[in-house]
Amino acid sequence: MSGTIVLVLRLVTTLALLGFLGWALYFLTREIQRQSISLANRRIPGISLTIRNEAKTSSLKYFAQAEIILGRDPGCDIPLVDDTISTRHAQLTYHHNQWWLEDLNSTNGTLLNGTLVEMPTVITSGDEIRCGATRLTVSLSENVVIEPTQKIGKKNGN
Amino acid sequence: MHDLKQSRLLRWSAFFLFVQSIILTLSPAVRERTWDVDYRFLHWLGFFLWLGLTNLTHRITIKYLPERDPYLLPAAALLSGWGLLTIWRLDQDFGLRQAAWLGISNLLFIFAIIGVKNLNILRRYKYVFLSGGLLITALTLLFGTNPMGFGPRLWLGCCGVYFQPSEPLKLLLVIYLSAYLADRVSFQLFSFPLLVPTVLVTGLALLLLLVQRDLGTASIFVLIFTVQIFLATGKRRVLLSASAFLALALFLGYFFIDIIHVRIVGWINPWTDPSGNSYQIVQSLLAVANGGTFGRGLGIGSPLLVPVAISDFIYAAIAEEAGLAGSLSLLAIIWLILARGLIIALRAPDRFRRYLAAGVATYLGIQSLLIIGGNVRLLPLTGVTLPFVSYGGSSLLTSFAALFLLLTISNVEDGEPAALQEPKPYYILAGILAFGLASAALSTAWWAILRGPDLLLRTDNPRRTIADRYVQRGNLLDRNNEPINITEGRSGSYQRKYLYPDLAPITGYTHPVFGQAGLEASIDKTLRGLQGNPTSLILWEQLLYGTPPPGLDTRLSLDLALQTKADALLGTHTGAIVLMNAETGEILVMASHPTYDPNKLDEEGDTLSQNKASPLLNRATQGLYPIGWMLRPLIEAEFGETPPTDTELRAFYKRLGLFEAPAINMPVTFDDMQASLQSLRISPLQAAVAASALSNKGIMPAPRIATAVNTPEQGWVVLPALGQPVEVIQESAANEAALSFIEAGTPYWSHLERADLAGTRVTWLTAGTLPDWKGAPLTLVVALEENNISLAKRIGEEMMNAAGQTP
Repeated sequence: MSGTIVLVLRLVTTLALLGFLGWALYFLTREIQRQSISLANRRIPGISLTIRNEAKTSSLKYFAQAEIILGRDPGCDIPLVDDTISTRHAQLTYHHNQWWLEDLNSTNGTLLNGTLVEMPTVITSGDEIRCGATRLTVSLSENVVIEPTQKIGKKNGN
Repeated sequence: MHDLKQSRLLRWSAFFLFVQSIILTLSPAVRERTWDVDYRFLHWLGFFLWLGLTNLTHRITIKYLPERDPYLLPAAALLSGWGLLTIWRLDQDFGLRQAAWLGISNLLFIFAIIGVKNLNILRRYKYVFLSGGLLITALTLLFGTNPMGFGPRLWLGCCGVYFQPSEPLKLLLVIYLSAYLADRVSFQLFSFPLLVPTVLVTGLALLLLLVQRDLGTASIFVLIFTVQIFLATGKRRVLLSASAFLALALFLGYFFIDIIHVRIVGWINPWTDPSGNSYQIVQSLLAVANGGTFGRGLGIGSPLLVPVAISDFIYAAIAEEAGLAGSLSLLAIIWLILARGLIIALRAPDRFRRYLAAGVATYLGIQSLLIIGGNVRLLPLTGVTLPFVSYGGSSLLTSFAALFLLLTISNVEDGEPAALQEPKPYYILAGILAFGLASAALSTAWWAILRGPDLLLRTDNPRRTIADRYVQRGNLLDRNNEPINITEGRSGSYQRKYLYPDLAPITGYTHPVFGQAGLEASIDKTLRGLQGNPTSLILWEQLLYGTPPPGLDTRLSLDLALQTKADALLGTHTGAIVLMNAETGEILVMASHPTYDPNKLDEEGDTLSQNKASPLLNRATQGLYPIGWMLRPLIEAEFGETPPTDTELRAFYKRLGLFEAPAINMPVTFDDMQASLQSLRISPLQAAVAASALSNKGIMPAPRIATAVNTPEQGWVVLPALGQPVEVIQESAANEAALSFIEAGTPYWSHLERADLAGTRVTWLTAGTLPDWKGAPLTLVVALEENNISLAKRIGEEMMNAAGQTP
């Protein structure tokens, strides 16, 4: 008799362990969901770049993504046809509510307003970036803070 | 949301430990299968202490670490509570001590959360911390002791409290390396900045290994160091060269350092020395095997059989009582901690905290893997503790310090993680740890499920004899249901009683130290309830109690009245008597003298096997005596007056089964040496079976001694003879020969013979009933290890008369 009762209890402990692990797994799955939605909701202020090459022809490009790579490689976000530019020359990234310029170990270096960029540097509207013979002028959209609009789940707004 | 997650998970842990505590309370009732037992209650103290402390830390973390990782505290709390209950179940005193350490660890943890606002102090004073730790560890070289009085002297102790400085030293090393590596921007392998910590760690590890003989801590130091350099540099070469270094160290250690040699031998082949150097690992595997899928239940297994179950082998103890289900969950919870630790590292806002979190996770992971792997023979055994679970104040304090570091680092408000140059090392590390845990899970399953049933049958599995104390063994009865060997007492203290000790060489004994002998050994499965009971019952009892069902009573063909007479007649003479029913083969009397008293095995067991007179030997089935012409009546029945040639005689003896073992459920010996017929030896049982042909119309019966089993479902079930009756001589020839061997004035045939071969002297008597005998035909064989015709004759007369009168 005692054996049967304890057998049931033993099964209950196994279920309790599974309960613990089950909830942990459930929470982990939810966390992935939340994280992806909140990342998707994060708005990035757009950046416009006026690009002038050696031939002084200029073009305007607008970006709404968080990572922009400049280089000679056609796969870059801003492909530049210019022999003085490395394959992956420099990148512009948005984090900590700022746009940052970073040199990607290029051969000829990247200049920001005439200064060599040695570490990631914050840029603002009107800054001039120079990669080889190409010049880019930065123009940022209004920096608006956008709250996540979509609440996840029922009552767990965190 | 964090708080909700944490409290949900904590509730599950509390529920789990609550049910475990109930099981532990009820466990004595299950073991002894009665409600009238002393229940265990003291561990509830531990449970409620755990509950209070966990509640407190839960509230403190909500208040002071609002953005902390919500999985870590519940996982750590579950592990430490599980460990506490397991330790309490193993040893009450250590349970109390562990509860005290749990209290101290939790309180220090709480103070640290309230008091330490950021971890920069660790970074700034890294050298102070490290050298402090080294200094205290160095003190163990001078003043080290071991609380158990033997083994590596890694503890500093006074007044009953012991502390093992090498435990926190691992964490101090992690802190130092994180700070050191974070202070440098970029690395070149084999450059000066890496030389300092490399020399430091290698020297430390070697010192620990050579002076302290602590293989576990030394390997943990090397592994932590390797992983941290790997994370900082991102070069896979680091891992490869460290693996090569460890392999080389193991290889050299195998030849030059005895502790490594012993561990490696015990790992590669534990089965060659299961009672010596591999005792721990073999017992650990037996514990895992006994756990099976669902485990025996807390307090119902026998994990105490594994040495140091409370610390080094706590995983085996958990596997035995929580089963594969429990141990896999344990591994999953450890994985939860490690994975969250690495995620915390990746989310950390600066490199110091990133390295620190990853280092702490590595430390917890490597230490868990080393000891779990050692427990299930995945890795060589290293005597380290299982973090959070094992007994030990230093271990528990260090585990909670690690938890504090991880929780504090995870408490970042919406910050952005520091830049990561090389993501590979992190997922390679995660992959290695996951692979390690998965291997541990597979090994556990292998021993618990696939190899388990075989392992448990090993004779060095003490659980069998423990089960004998709790489960009634079947009785041995004579043909009239008179008890011979019975089991007395109540569950928990069952004892075998031998009511007719003179039968000891035949029925044997079952003893926790000396094992089993005689019929107790040969029909053990029936007496133990593993044969004759329905399979479903056997499985159910195994599931409920981990023991076989109650044993089955077995009836023997022996007749105690005749047996008493035979034993009295044989007295102090050395020899054997076999009286059997010539038709059915049932053995009515089997005596072997000298005999011994199996009730006194405890005192005499050691000397018995040395005794020159070999009382343990069953002379009736295992004693071999020169045959001489003791089978003359049979030979004359077959060949008449003309003596047979050697070839003919050999063929005849072969037909009589003298060159093979008699088919009977007892230990028997026989002489298969067929070199010369003159030197042939046979046992009294062989002689009796052969001689039966003369009283049974020329047919040799199949001998039987265990005749029936009392099964719960069908009552007494007859056990068939193992062999077949064989006609060896013609009926008319047999009858004629029997009549020609009648001794004057006796109603039976008989033949006396003396034989002497290489110093073995024997006086044989064979006798049997005549063809016109109305009752059951009988055959008697007496073998005396002396020249004593008159005694043989007297035994023959008295036994044949007594047997003839018995219905």
